[in-house]
Amino acid sequence: MPIEILKGPAVEASEKEDSRDPVYLKIRDLVYQSCGIYHSEEKLYLLISACKRCIAQSNGRASTGREYLALLTSPTRREVEMRELMNQITIGETCLFRSQAQLNALHNVILPELTAERSKIGLKKLRVWSAGCSTGEEPYTLAMFLLEEKEKLLRDWAFDIQATDLNDNSIETARAGVYGDYALRNTPEVFKRKYFLPAEGTRLQVRSEVKACITFTRLNLNDDSRLVFMKGMDLIFCCNVLIYFDLNSKRRVVQHFFSNLMPNGCFFLGQAESLFQVNDQFRLIHLPGTTVYRKSGPETAKARTP
Amino acid sequence: MSVGLRDGLKKRVERLRTLPSSPAVLQPLLELLRSPSEQIDLKKVVQLVSYDKSITAQCLRIANSSLYGRARPTESIQAAVLSLGIQRVEDILLTCCLQRFSSGAPGAGDSTVFWRHSLGCAAVCRELAERIQYTDPDRAYLAALLHDLGILVNSLAYPEEYALVLAKAAEMGVPLVEQEMHELGFTHSESGSILGAMWQLPQAVNEVIALHHDVSNAPEDNPLVALVHIGDMLCRLRGLGYGYEEWRGVDLGADPAWSDLARHCPQLCKMDLARFTMDLDAFVPRVQALVESVFSPNVKRQEAPISH
Repeated sequence: MPIEILKGPAVEASEKEDSRDPVYLKIRDLVYQSCGIYHSEEKLYLLISACKRCIAQSNGRASTGREYLALLTSPTRREVEMRELMNQITIGETCLFRSQAQLNALHNVILPELTAERSKIGLKKLRVWSAGCSTGEEPYTLAMFLLEEKEKLLRDWAFDIQATDLNDNSIETARAGVYGDYALRNTPEVFKRKYFLPAEGTRLQVRSEVKACITFTRLNLNDDSRLVFMKGMDLIFCCNVLIYFDLNSKRRVVQHFFSNLMPNGCFFLGQAESLFQVNDQFRLIHLPGTTVYRKSGPETAKARTP
Repeated sequence: MSVGLRDGLKKRVERLRTLPSSPAVLQPLLELLRSPSEQIDLKKVVQLVSYDKSITAQCLRIANSSLYGRARPTESIQAAVLSLGIQRVEDILLTCCLQRFSSGAPGAGDSTVFWRHSLGCAAVCRELAERIQYTDPDRAYLAALLHDLGILVNSLAYPEEYALVLAKAAEMGVPLVEQEMHELGFTHSESGSILGAMWQLPQAVNEVIALHHDVSNAPEDNPLVALVHIGDMLCRLRGLGYGYEEWRGVDLGADPAWSDLARHCPQLCKMDLARFTMDLDAFVPRVQALVESVFSPNVKRQEAPISH
């Protein structure tokens, strides 16, 4: 009998069982406190399977959830273990068009508001920063999205996208802009046809007009002297990056983001991340299916919601 | 709203009194809701729920839905009252009555959207009330369950006009109240509070119905208005709204309702709103399941023997 077939549902069932195990709720809270990434009830199974992969790779240091929790809190091991857990949590997370809710919010609310307001003072340029862009999926998504908007809302507007990452290899891959099926799984067909060229096999390469919108640079977010030069941003994206920072560096980096944004500029985190206890200057804004952090303009009046 | 408009609306709402679908247990149930909770007789509640066989079956289905987080299914109303508490069973009975009340009339349309929002808002408000240590989470549930009563009233009293209002609001992605004001000259807050007054709902609940879109006029001693306003906003932005997306960004922390509620419940200022918002996503499938249990035809289950 094929063992794989038996394995699938069995694993699922055991993870459902585990989601009631208080140990995993403790790990969930620990991850949230130290990394700012939160697994709500229906996402808990993702955390549990990441933990199980870590346990399997722990060379016998842990064999149960309880032992693994001990490892995550041990003074000598916790940093290494937490980093590995973060790697497992974010594995396979990157793809183009990862968050449709974010793009919808940009299209329907944020861009219309920003452009209306900037036009009043005669500004017709949009500056976007993808901080921690990894292998380029996020900045390319934004570039394609903004190119589409250039036919509508951003007619006679200019925009540029700064994409930065600490890792040289990631930057190289990003510059090449060649993606396989997995990274392209959320990309609408229209976009594939309009903005990509066929590459080897089923892979697709981003067209040069899309690449031309983006400047890729290596940048360490801990390097204060470089961060102060990233001024005048309208939108900053930093998804699943801050999870690797300790609380103090996180506070420092987010403070930089805050001062780098123009008034009413927006800061985007990953869907499961929050700035709770990291920064209280940003305003948390709710939009359908997503949230963003906004730097309030001086004139923002008290909101009234019908 | 002009005097003429108000009189016309009142007349139409009064006509709803005679709806054939209005369940017989509704009036005694409303009376029960008015009395202080410590005086409510368990037997009386069981008796009311048991009065109508199909309502009994429906109540049990709701009591056993995952939103009530029950480990083992309940088979009798008595057991449901004991394990869920009298107030929750009252809420469930009220849900069944209102569903019956709304479904019998012509032009009632698809009320599953209404129930998703009302039951979702009720569950979210109770959860919020518990997290910020509001004194009476069950009252928050009841107030939120009824806050949009006016939507039912409007779709019963003005079936054709109101279908148009709903369709247009959805098409433009604007808040329902704005579209109502524009097309009808009054909102569901007003029509809901007329029926609420006729039914002699508890005053605090009727204030929520009348003022949840107008929190600055809420009486200072009724934080429920602000609480339901916030729960309502969260639901509408997190997949439990009126069945369409309202395209706008909302800064809840800067909403006057937030400071109103924080004055009564200081815990609100310490709450992690981003995390609470993420937790709400788990409500969506559970509310969906509950709505299905409110609406699923009760033919088979009803015939099963029910012990009281």
